[in-house]
Amino acid sequence: MAESAALTRRVAVVNGGAGGIGQEVVLALARDGFHVVILDVSETACQEAVARLAQAGGTGEYRVLDLTRKPLVAEAFAGIRAAHGRIDALVNLAGGTLHQHPIQEFPLAEWQRVIDVNLKATFLCCQAVIPGMKARGMGAIVNTASNYGVTGGARRTAYAASKAAIMAFSKSLALELAPHGIRVNTIAPGRTATARVMGNYDPEEWEAKGSEIPMGRAAEPAEIADGVAFLVSDASGYMTGQTLHVNGGMVLP
Amino acid sequence: MNRLDGKVAIVTGAGQGIGRAIAVGMAREGAQVIVAERNAATGAAVAAEIGQDGGDALAFQTDVAAEASVGAMVAACLQRFGRIDVLVNNAGIFPRASVEEMAEEEWDRVIGTNLVGTFLCSRAVAPTMIAQRAGRIVNVASEKALEGAANGAHYAASKAGIIGFTKSLALELAPYGATANVICPGVTDTAQPRANLAPGERLEDRAARIPLGRIGQPDDLVGPVLFLASHAGRFVTGQTLLVNGGTVRW
Repeated sequence: MAESAALTRRVAVVNGGAGGIGQEVVLALARDGFHVVILDVSETACQEAVARLAQAGGTGEYRVLDLTRKPLVAEAFAGIRAAHGRIDALVNLAGGTLHQHPIQEFPLAEWQRVIDVNLKATFLCCQAVIPGMKARGMGAIVNTASNYGVTGGARRTAYAASKAAIMAFSKSLALELAPHGIRVNTIAPGRTATARVMGNYDPEEWEAKGSEIPMGRAAEPAEIADGVAFLVSDASGYMTGQTLHVNGGMVLP
Repeated sequence: MNRLDGKVAIVTGAGQGIGRAIAVGMAREGAQVIVAERNAATGAAVAAEIGQDGGDALAFQTDVAAEASVGAMVAACLQRFGRIDVLVNNAGIFPRASVEEMAEEEWDRVIGTNLVGTFLCSRAVAPTMIAQRAGRIVNVASEKALEGAANGAHYAASKAGIIGFTKSLALELAPYGATANVICPGVTDTAQPRANLAPGERLEDRAARIPLGRIGQPDDLVGPVLFLASHAGRFVTGQTLLVNGGTVRW
């Protein structure tokens, strides 16, 4: 009984689920009835995310790994499939990186690192989840871009390039997977009030930056999470290959 | 708890097709709905359908291209329900003609209904939304705004115009906490495209070029509109959502 109940429970994997936006995505998906598996690099942050999840009445678990290494990613997804028998949704959130370098000083290793944590991790997780979704003829994948992927940003060449690449990657994957009933969409957050981002500004500077946004402030992580939950849900069942910008009007592509 | 409990929504062109599905869908989520429709009979039928479904709707015969008609509709909404939380500008027409043979009157009629109508209705609700410091406008454009339409230049121009208009409106309303966004349907199973089919052509045949493998149904638009109109969409503004099975990817 318990086993069959477990197999009918919808499962979502959230890479970067222990981060500032990630924890809210985990809560939103739990609210929509998913058992959530968090993949992230920080054990402490994962524990915090799972504790918040339990407190909210959801169920979930975590795995700590480097998402840029194919064998580790493959092993993690094989483990999840073995434990739960299904993965209904994949949200690729991990990434970011706040390093800023003028192009003439951009170290190659740092450039490569940005591309890997944003783009390669997304690629590897998609590759690992697709066979199971194809076998079941259903699934939803949400990848994370950024307004920088549309506008670019000085001293952020690698970050902007990786985020634009994620949009093109997602559109291509949407075409590949549509015949299998799997949808692929992209969420593009604008400036978002996570601890990691806010830590780079003094309070007045943060306030001033917010007032430049048409809606007068940065996004709350929960507002990004609600957009992700929409793209995962059947409410967006006829959408694939699209990008949802949640940015308070900061960028209007 | 429904997502639009206590909210009042106006849906134009709600007597049939996509507009009807949106009006019914919002009523099911608790909204009181104005069914703004040029055809009095179909508008009344949709309002009655919502009433039988346990909802609360008022049909109001409206020509969105006529300033006085739009003003009367919005006044009726405020009189009956006392507020306006959501406006869905859905009314639109899609006659076919090549540019070479397109009559100026026909151009004016399409731009008038699709683009000017969207402007007039948005302008009419803006004072209320600004005073409430809350409101959601969802404008229905089309993927043709992005890819063009042979023998439908007026239509494509009107729909692309809606996108530019909506971005501007979003910037104007943002300081008041109100949002404005666009949804772009693809080929959708309604009476209007069926009326434009060539002899022997089937609307379903267009599924071949749609990645998700089927033409859209009016209900496919309901989820995205509810997202933009509900709490979940509170920080989304000035954006364009394509709900088209992946045909054009934005």
